[in-house]
Amino acid sequence: MWVKLVLLLLFCLMILGAVHFAQPSQSSNRASSPAVVNALRLLTWNIGYAELEDDTRAHDKDLPAVAEVILRHDPDAVALQELTGKTQLNVLLGLLHGKYHGAVAQQGNGDRFEAVLVKDSRATFIPVALGAQYALAASFRPRANSPEVLVLSAHADAFNAARRRTYTEALIDWAEPRTQSSEVFIAGDFNFELKAANETNLYTDNVKHDSESYSHILREFRDLGRAAGDTAINDRRIDYIFGPPSLEQVGRVEVLRNAAVGRMDHWPLLVEVGF
Amino acid sequence: MLTLLKLELEKLFRARSFYLSFLVLIAFVALMLWGFYTYAARKTGGEAVEQFKYTYESKQYFNGLTFALYSLLFSFTLLLPIFVSMSAGSQIAGETRAGTLRMICTRPISRASLVLSKFLVTALHAALLLLFFIGLNLVVGLIFVGWGNLELYPGPLNLVDVPGKIMRDDALMRFGYAVLSGTWALLVIAALALLCSVVFDSPAQAIVMTIAAYLTLYIVGRVEFFEHLRPYFFTTDMDFWRDVFKPEIPWANLWHYACICGAYTTGLLLATVVIFERKDIVT
Repeated sequence: MWVKLVLLLLFCLMILGAVHFAQPSQSSNRASSPAVVNALRLLTWNIGYAELEDDTRAHDKDLPAVAEVILRHDPDAVALQELTGKTQLNVLLGLLHGKYHGAVAQQGNGDRFEAVLVKDSRATFIPVALGAQYALAASFRPRANSPEVLVLSAHADAFNAARRRTYTEALIDWAEPRTQSSEVFIAGDFNFELKAANETNLYTDNVKHDSESYSHILREFRDLGRAAGDTAINDRRIDYIFGPPSLEQVGRVEVLRNAAVGRMDHWPLLVEVGF
Repeated sequence: MLTLLKLELEKLFRARSFYLSFLVLIAFVALMLWGFYTYAARKTGGEAVEQFKYTYESKQYFNGLTFALYSLLFSFTLLLPIFVSMSAGSQIAGETRAGTLRMICTRPISRASLVLSKFLVTALHAALLLLFFIGLNLVVGLIFVGWGNLELYPGPLNLVDVPGKIMRDDALMRFGYAVLSGTWALLVIAALALLCSVVFDSPAQAIVMTIAAYLTLYIVGRVEFFEHLRPYFFTTDMDFWRDVFKPEIPWANLWHYACICGAYTTGLLLATVVIFERKDIVT
């Protein structure tokens, strides 16, 4: 009898212990918005479609909705991915009523383009060659007395982790020396698959490559959107904004989950930082 | 109770399966070492066979501690639960099949004490397995790979969100913690196997049922269709043991899941005792 009583007592103690040590669940959509001085607001958004569509690039019919989101949240710079080209960018700039200036990257070996939009009319756009691909950076000053800011729009390969790694290494090689003279921000869709729990294998080259790529970026930059949670369907956090590790303030960090229209599979990531 | 424990320990140390489990673990460590070497050779075009630690971006990444951690995490998923299931599943059902259970129960001992002593012996076996396995991995890691700090990256082991590091002496301490947390997690399997051992008369049936239940929940828990069910599986709760390898141990989380595992273990043991006391032993 005593054995059963002891076991019952232990069982109750364990239940009580589990309740006592239970932590309140944390929402994945934590949007912090402390006041930020000399704020710089950045937004990154892959406006392409999910893989099931015939054309997975951005669709013209969605551009008014994209412009509406940009105007509503008023970022200083926007990094866009998967545009069809300069014509589409010009349509978008028109919908933004001349409030933004922008450019698309050079065409690499793909059929889609990265773009950067900035409010500053004196901004300069810099093509960035990353192996067989191209990214685009914009250099500007968000305020008259602000330091120079460099925002780069990037899009790493969606299907091959080794190519993502090569791309990331080239990207960091390009960005690292520029951190001496500018506040460098890298924004875009990196397609890193870092949730090993979702892998069927315990250890894969793909996870290893993505892990190394992500860690390589974090040596020089800070992952500003980490607290905001998933940025794409199927619980994936694949869109990032990386910034200087020495940033004084990080304000609002939010994934705008109601912004996607049509068959878009990404949500915009908005980050506000202060110098 | 002490006499019972002594007798059960004698049985454990005389069983061939006890030593076999250690031999298989030695073979697994050898396999891991071979896997690491061939992986390095493949990835580096044969240039880094002697120093496969250079396969990772960080030149200090692969060291004895990393090797031990990978080996432990890989084996904990399947290998160790199988041995614990074998040990616990054959405890009562093995006596039934050998025809000795009836004789044991005619002695002036309570059935509850018998179950408890068999469980404690199984728990000791699980702890010894883990202690031996971790110790062996660390020794092999030290000899073949060398010491260093334990560097952790997001992704492969799913332990951290950002790159982290545990200093060597602290990391060794964490392996010590892992013996305790890992054994505690494995006790859930041991209790389940003991319950099956009481319900089924054949040890093979008890072991297979335990492993089937474990694998089913483990696999289902990794399929996204059943993501919402995942928190209710004991296999998910058992994962808490890995928390000791996080740069900052989340103690509250660790105790929470340790208590849940404890509740599973004691609850299953209680059910085992109740069922065994009512069981009509006819063999």
